[in-house]
Amino acid sequence: MALDGPGFDRAYRAHSARLRAVAYDILRDRDAAEDAVHGALMRVWSAGAYRPERGALLPFLIACVRREALDALRTSKRRHLREVRANAGDPVASDDTAAIDPVEARRVKRALDDLPAAQRDIIVRAYYGYRTLAEVAQDAGVPLGTVKSRLSAALRRLHTALSEGSP
Amino acid sequence: MNHLDDDAELYALGLTERERDAEIEAHLATCADCRTRVAAAEEAAASLAATLPAMPPPRTAAAPARATARRRAWWPGLASAAAVVFAATAAFEGMSAHSASSQLARTDVALNAIAGSHFGHTTLTSVPGVVAKALYARDGSWLYVVATGAPRGAHVVLRRSMHVTPKGTHVTPDAGATAHPDAAVVDVGVLESGEPATLFVRDVGRAGDIAIVPNGQAVAHAVAHGVPAY
Repeated sequence: MALDGPGFDRAYRAHSARLRAVAYDILRDRDAAEDAVHGALMRVWSAGAYRPERGALLPFLIACVRREALDALRTSKRRHLREVRANAGDPVASDDTAAIDPVEARRVKRALDDLPAAQRDIIVRAYYGYRTLAEVAQDAGVPLGTVKSRLSAALRRLHTALSEGSP
Repeated sequence: MNHLDDDAELYALGLTERERDAEIEAHLATCADCRTRVAAAEEAAASLAATLPAMPPPRTAAAPARATARRRAWWPGLASAAAVVFAATAAFEGMSAHSASSQLARTDVALNAIAGSHFGHTTLTSVPGVVAKALYARDGSWLYVVATGAPRGAHVVLRRSMHVTPKGTHVTPDAGATAHPDAAVVDVGVLESGEPATLFVRDVGRAGDIAIVPNGQAVAHAVAHGVPAY
């Protein structure tokens, strides 16, 4: 298989843009975001952590980058920047047109809106607010176990909704 | 071990404890049901990622040198290696992140070969002022060397066989090879100038040792050196 064929650059740019967006949104710093993407990729390569039976590659890499960036966030002084942002309003209400994939962003946000309010509240706090589970429990005033089960249910429901709605 | 249950989704969101993650990956290696569940959760999480804005471009005005500049300089070079991995995902292009059934079908041989366990990388032991790293295919089909601070026109030299130099020790070239380069020493090319300087070579075979040598110098004067772990 040719690795340098047509679409190579486009595929690389498209995928790396997604990974960088994930890291940047968490860390709010270009250098730190690049480091997180780099760190996650190196970890995946060096450990041979990916196998095709594990699922699609891009979602897997996105999850790896997110873990890497969250670790960097939790161990850095950038924390306070997140605190500011987490209190700055409803992040899901942000401009769709700024998203990497505006069409997909609108579709996902519609699916989020269709979630039961309690589930949507938890997933917004945890995903867009970058709160730990304990912080979400405290902020939302619900037990930790409830946060976990709601988050799990929300993500499964979201997946079902988006799979049904896919063209 | 029991199934992951809610942890499948929490893991996909990066919200499990890191101590738990190794257990989760170990379980996934043996449990197809949980793999399916985690893959679905990761697809949903990837959909959420689609709502995020792109990382803003760098400020174009001449920015003052930053403390992280040298560390960051790795990225442009490593991006080329990353491109090799991402090329394997070209099959996914244009496909939404949640059409789960078609994704495995489109997974191809290259994905197996490249995103699997077939990469290695090692930081080369180097003289002060030089930072160098090698990425290599474990089957010897390609080698990528990236270096900052190496002299212009430096060569990358491989040795097929040499006395084993444990990782992290000083360069200890064997005198015979340095004074009289023989078949065991292969010059694979010149680092292309740039910061970092890079060299990508195919079909190099497995090297016992990788060294960066200033142009016209003997291997004994290598500015960086390392042993890949195939």
